[in-house]
Amino acid sequence: MTTLAWRIARRELRGGIKGFRVFLGCLALGVAVIASVGSLSAAVKAGLARDARGLLGGDVELQLFHRTADAREHDYLAARGQISEVAQLRAMARTLDGERTSLIELKSVDAAYPLYGAVTLAVTGGQQAPSLAEALALKEGHWGAVVAPALMDRLGIKEGDSIRVGDAVLTIRARLVHEPDAIGGLLEFGPRVMVAEQALAATGLVTPGTLIGYSYRVKLPPGGNSAQFIAGLRAAFPDAGWRIRDLGNAAPNLQRLLDRLTVFMTLVGLTALLVGGVGIGNAVASYLAGKTETIATLKCLGASRRLIFATYLAETLALAAGGIALGLVLGALAPFLAASLLPAQLPVSARLGIYPAPLLLAAIFGVLATLAFTLWPLGAAAAVNPAGLFRARVEPVLGRPPARFIAAVAVAGLLLAGLAVMSATDRRLALWSVLGAVAALALFRLAAAALVWAARHAGRPRQPGLRLALANLCRPGAPTAGVLASLGLGLAVLVAIALVEGNLMSEIETRLPEHAPSFFFIDIQPGQAAPFDALLRSMPGVTELARVPSLRGRISALNGVPVERAAVAPEARWAINSDRGLTYAATLPAGSRLVAGSWWPADYRGPPLVSFDAELARGMGLKIGDTLTVNVLGRELTARIANLREIDWTSLGLNFAIVLSPGTLDGAPQTHIATARTAPGSEAALARAVSQRFPNVSAISVRDALANLAGVIDAIAAALTAIAALALAAGILVLAGAVAAGHRRRVYDAVVLKVLGATRRDITRAYLIEYGLLGLAAAVLAAGIGTLAAWLVLTRVMGTEWSFRPGAVAATVALATLLTLFLGYAGTWRALGAKPAPYLRNE
Amino acid sequence: MPLPSDSPIVLVEDLHLTLASAAGAVNVLRGISLRIEAGESVGLVGPSGSGKSTLMMVLGGLERPSAGRVQIAGLDLGRLDEDALARLRRDAIGIVFQSFHLVPTMTALENVAMPLEFAGRADAFARARAGLEEVGLGQRLLHYPAQLSGGEQQRVAIARAFIAAPKLLLADEPTGNLDGATGQLVIDLLFRLRAERGTTLLLITHDHALASRCGRIVALADGRIAEDSAAAGLARLGRG
Repeated sequence: MTTLAWRIARRELRGGIKGFRVFLGCLALGVAVIASVGSLSAAVKAGLARDARGLLGGDVELQLFHRTADAREHDYLAARGQISEVAQLRAMARTLDGERTSLIELKSVDAAYPLYGAVTLAVTGGQQAPSLAEALALKEGHWGAVVAPALMDRLGIKEGDSIRVGDAVLTIRARLVHEPDAIGGLLEFGPRVMVAEQALAATGLVTPGTLIGYSYRVKLPPGGNSAQFIAGLRAAFPDAGWRIRDLGNAAPNLQRLLDRLTVFMTLVGLTALLVGGVGIGNAVASYLAGKTETIATLKCLGASRRLIFATYLAETLALAAGGIALGLVLGALAPFLAASLLPAQLPVSARLGIYPAPLLLAAIFGVLATLAFTLWPLGAAAAVNPAGLFRARVEPVLGRPPARFIAAVAVAGLLLAGLAVMSATDRRLALWSVLGAVAALALFRLAAAALVWAARHAGRPRQPGLRLALANLCRPGAPTAGVLASLGLGLAVLVAIALVEGNLMSEIETRLPEHAPSFFFIDIQPGQAAPFDALLRSMPGVTELARVPSLRGRISALNGVPVERAAVAPEARWAINSDRGLTYAATLPAGSRLVAGSWWPADYRGPPLVSFDAELARGMGLKIGDTLTVNVLGRELTARIANLREIDWTSLGLNFAIVLSPGTLDGAPQTHIATARTAPGSEAALARAVSQRFPNVSAISVRDALANLAGVIDAIAAALTAIAALALAAGILVLAGAVAAGHRRRVYDAVVLKVLGATRRDITRAYLIEYGLLGLAAAVLAAGIGTLAAWLVLTRVMGTEWSFRPGAVAATVALATLLTLFLGYAGTWRALGAKPAPYLRNE
Repeated sequence: MPLPSDSPIVLVEDLHLTLASAAGAVNVLRGISLRIEAGESVGLVGPSGSGKSTLMMVLGGLERPSAGRVQIAGLDLGRLDEDALARLRRDAIGIVFQSFHLVPTMTALENVAMPLEFAGRADAFARARAGLEEVGLGQRLLHYPAQLSGGEQQRVAIARAFIAAPKLLLADEPTGNLDGATGQLVIDLLFRLRAERGTTLLLITHDHALASRCGRIVALADGRIAEDSAAAGLARLGRG
């Protein structure tokens, strides 16, 4: 039967694909979006894998905080491969006259750096750039430095000029164009300055307690096995406290960010497919309605229902293959087109190529969406009653198909949702998004049904235009529900993205700065604490000075169980993924609220107690009386949890998840950190004054950091908006398809109305009212559902404050209404020009 | 499907059909009993709304009766499901419509071959070619319906109706959409083929002259058989 079905389907395809343009467009668009996102992500990941050695700096990297490797560790590493030592810290760079300062990311490298990849330097005027060793060498009493171009702009300096970092004067010998192991990337606080390790020593910035990280990169001999090496290392130095990374996780943060972005963008892409699915279903239903007579004839000649179904399914799938192929070609080409649009901050370049896996996934999505949206009309069409051939007209089947088709639709829908969830790296997020999309579609359907009901029960308005418009919206077979749902869903996603972005931006640009400090000062030496306070108090306009001791530590065990083996909820993982700042205090810190237990007496001097973040305690399953072990500078310290605090992180104050009782850490090497507020105009003066007096203290401008963060959010929102716009484009295709499908009927309506004496204006008004109502309904529903989605994401997922932003919503509503009016009207304009006579004769 | 051969081709007993409509239930057929033997030709006449087309739909297995029994070639239609009815039409019933109902995307040859294709016959196209040559369209095999005149389209439809050598041919006003001369040619063709093959014919028509070419005339009125030239001994009515 399959061959026969296919043979008949091929004959049916001779009729051309005119009715299938929207079908092809919707499918190609949806598949293209998903394939593009997947291909681009695969290309960037391949680039990441290709550059992994360079990004990691070696085959294996060990990170230590606050301390260098001791002689035994050093010897162990050196005996097993070539090693390169790199140190990184934040510091302040000043012009020699002290007029301009900038926070920098200072990095010292040894002669072996880089073990893999190459540093690219440049000098102005097209001269030959020096080698890295030459550039960093000591010449005429000054160490050299290579710096990111941003620093030169900021300080107004050029190559050959000198800057002061700590106690050292460094000569800029070249611009740093490419650094193979630069993965700080998206959230750096300042431009990079690279110096030799001896130059770092000369700055005098490294003292006990300085926030500094040391990386030891190891290049294993040919044939060396990094897993074996790591296992040996762990066995030899179980308490070293280093973080070990190998090629598999060269850039874990970037990888995570990439995965998240891919999930978001794929989900929005799926919305485009979902929206397009309505168009796909409408196109097939409208095509099959035109085929009713043929189907009835085939049945009269002895075709079974199964054969009819198989025939038109084969035809649909053949066309779908075309649409999917088109989408895949576009998707496969996307990385080549988009590579130049990738953010410049991204430390890896995409590895351009054709990636079969994401294309295959997109194709499967396409097939499933086709089935989910066409099985219904296909099943209904197979039920056409051939007896109609004996009457004037065969009625297309508009109702429900038999139950087994409804079940098949449900299965295809479930497979689609299942694939969306299973193929995402963040399945929880994907599951919620899928549920959200299904709920939104259902809401739109319900609302559409309500609108149709209202139009039907609106009585008989006197105004004939309005009466015709209402009748058009609710006549049997009207595409009102489909158009509302598809146009609305695309719009709702746009509204949601605009609202989430708007809220996050206002949080960052307005709400946070309202009570955030202007500066964080780090690396204040204990001996500098009192003079530092005095200096800031003496500066006019400086308020809200706060200062606390700060140490770095790593949570190593929960109730004695090493964290690697402890059960920690995903939302609390950030706290054990890297070093945390910790402090000690006699009294409850500002910005915290005690929610369990009690604070220790100010003069407490007993066994170590710890005050812990309540949310993290929940995620780690800890309660009052449990113990928390932290590794501070290689020393394990176990403290009993005395109380839990709720911390307002959005205050951007001196918040610590871990606060220890006084006496516990007093003797440990430490620095102080401080915050202060000052008027926006005097920020530069404050930074300058602190930097001149305390060259080792770094001032981090909160404004700059937030601007940096805002830039990242902006870029992500732009990418998501672009994809959501494609979902809206799919919705517009659906509308265009519905307009095209109804064209013949509209022409006939117009002709009959004209015969009855209606003027062009009367008819125009009726159409404008009809499309205006449709567009307005879609827009209002989309505004409501999009707002609800944004509210859920912001308050339930991100936990930030929510404010309604009418501007974004109003813009979307206006856009939708105008679009619908324009498209609907443009589509029916031709109907108005139709000459009555030929139509009346034909009918 | 094997068809019993010794029974009448059409056997209808106390057939009732009630259709729901906006104005309430309408009794379209009200107690029809009819027996047509193999090889008979029957003209079905009656005013519009008398139930002619509905009776034909029931005989073609396209409409289920509300009550009564219908046997075609010895098979009780009430016992057949939708697909079995489709197979019965494929193998035993040919239908010719007033509006031809050719499939517009298929050539004349494909249109004619279709019932045999449904039956999985390997010689479908060879026989369709022969069938079209028999109706004088040997030069038109690869033309699409839109490229054929009305008379040619109806000849294709007749070739299609006869292709599977049906026992029963149902024709619903086959000349209704054709001009007089063309209609005459088509009717001559229909009667010639039926006579050559001994096919039982049930022909709906408004045209008494046409009906009189049939061996027997059944007149319907208001859902009942008003006159049957065989039953009433009005054979002369049939001879015209």
